[in-house]
Amino acid sequence: MAAAESPSAALRRRDLCSRGIRLAGKMRADVVDLLDAYVEQQGLDASASVAAVEGVPLAAVERWDEQTGTQRLLENLAAYRAFRALLAQMLEEQREQLGEADAGLGRALAAVLLQVSAFAYHLEELLRLESRGVPGEEGDEEEEDGPPPPPRLSLFEQKLRGLGVLRELAQWAVRSVRDLRQLAKPSPATGAAPGLVESP
Amino acid sequence: ESHTQYERVGADVTMKCGSMDWDAAVTWTANGTDIDESHLNGSYLILKNVNLSQSGQYSCYEGSSWHLKYQTNLRVGTPPKEPVLMCRSNNYPKGFYCSWHLPTPTYMPNTFNISVIHGTKDMVCEKDAVPKNRCHIRYLQLFSTVKYKVTLTVTNPLGKNFTTLTFDEFAIVKPDPPESVVAKPVPNNPRRLEVSWQNPSSWPDPESFPLKFFLRYRPLILDQWQHVELSDGTSHTITDAYAGKEYIIQVAAKDNDIGTWSDWSVAVHATPWTEEPKHLTTEAQITETTSASTSSFMAPPTTKICDKGAVVGSGAMAVCWTAGLVVAAYSVLFI
Repeated sequence: MAAAESPSAALRRRDLCSRGIRLAGKMRADVVDLLDAYVEQQGLDASASVAAVEGVPLAAVERWDEQTGTQRLLENLAAYRAFRALLAQMLEEQREQLGEADAGLGRALAAVLLQVSAFAYHLEELLRLESRGVPGEEGDEEEEDGPPPPPRLSLFEQKLRGLGVLRELAQWAVRSVRDLRQLAKPSPATGAAPGLVESP
Repeated sequence: ESHTQYERVGADVTMKCGSMDWDAAVTWTANGTDIDESHLNGSYLILKNVNLSQSGQYSCYEGSSWHLKYQTNLRVGTPPKEPVLMCRSNNYPKGFYCSWHLPTPTYMPNTFNISVIHGTKDMVCEKDAVPKNRCHIRYLQLFSTVKYKVTLTVTNPLGKNFTTLTFDEFAIVKPDPPESVVAKPVPNNPRRLEVSWQNPSSWPDPESFPLKFFLRYRPLILDQWQHVELSDGTSHTITDAYAGKEYIIQVAAKDNDIGTWSDWSVAVHATPWTEEPKHLTTEAQITETTSASTSSFMAPPTTKICDKGAVVGSGAMAVCWTAGLVVAAYSVLFI
């Protein structure tokens, strides 16, 4: 079934993609600044390798260019929802550890959390535009449970995990810009997102 | 019996005449020239503190029969120093290449071996035919935070050395410079130059991975560059050029989101449009002018035959020094 996307839907999609690209770009810049501040204030080594942390969505992807539009949106949405929870947790830990001592870092974390939430909402809008149902948040992941409290980590482990979270978020922000650019292109017949087929 | 013998510069070298006894009578030659007996210890040839010029073909002949008993190709050189390695992605997101060289020659054959590890995964770097000291890798993953570790080992008959580079995917992204840079004057606009260029042909997908550009320009007579950063498009109009001055212009490119700026493009030169001064017609036309015509002339208002700043007077009577001299000269002619 090939249905042409209506002109208004195409315009709306391009508009959402453009705004999403700007959002992701700003988010990335803020995450990079936050990463610098976090490394410094947590006394970490910026070049330290952090093993993949459970629950942190990895931006790394194989055959990225072969993904459909829907795959891109769904993977992005799952990632940012996970980051929303992870950042909220980091903020909570930050407040517990330092109280008022590091309000600047806390504010920066909160600002990024806000952008992540906004971006997740933006992705939901794009999915709705594709006439795809927006996946529910609970019970969506198979392997990891997002919000349920993980085993209590030591302070150092919390810091390292925070580093891992912010690094992956920075990568995701770049990936999201690329994904939205792909989405904004007029899609060819093959590999097009379902519901996003345009007749020439 | 013949073979190749590799020795380090400064070493003491002893060459035996094959299986001949120490006390056999032999003659040694180097590249066909007899070697003085003072270098011999019995039938052994002794070369002390060898240098590069002593590389060559050494032959040993049995004393009376002049039968060739042994031949060796002596190559004097050095073990390899730490190689210089560079990795770069000029075709993101397809992959990256690494290239290498030795800082100083060894004067003997060297073998290079490169290994690339991404996390725990070994990757194959495919050697390029040209240039030979280069190999390329296709990205299997994009957007990975895991670093790449590239180790280059160089080996020659006298020893080995190695170097290692560690980097992440984004850090090595550096496009080639923009291509086909063209700068043209804009008709009837003495302060404008129109510059256009193309994405480097090695950049595979500028639509999905757009480049941004940095333009720099200056008049040849000044050292200071003007800079303009452009986030999209492959053209730009310079609007503040000095009238009549030749400009030099270059462009650089960078991925919009990651990596570093390319090198500057090939420089192009252009001069903004200037109106042809109408009175400066050919000499023949001037000398044919009859005395009935005015003995002096005024340049039409739009004519610019001198630089700003060399103007004397104002308003309708404004002329510049050079024009004044020309007027005076022709006035004298027609009196």
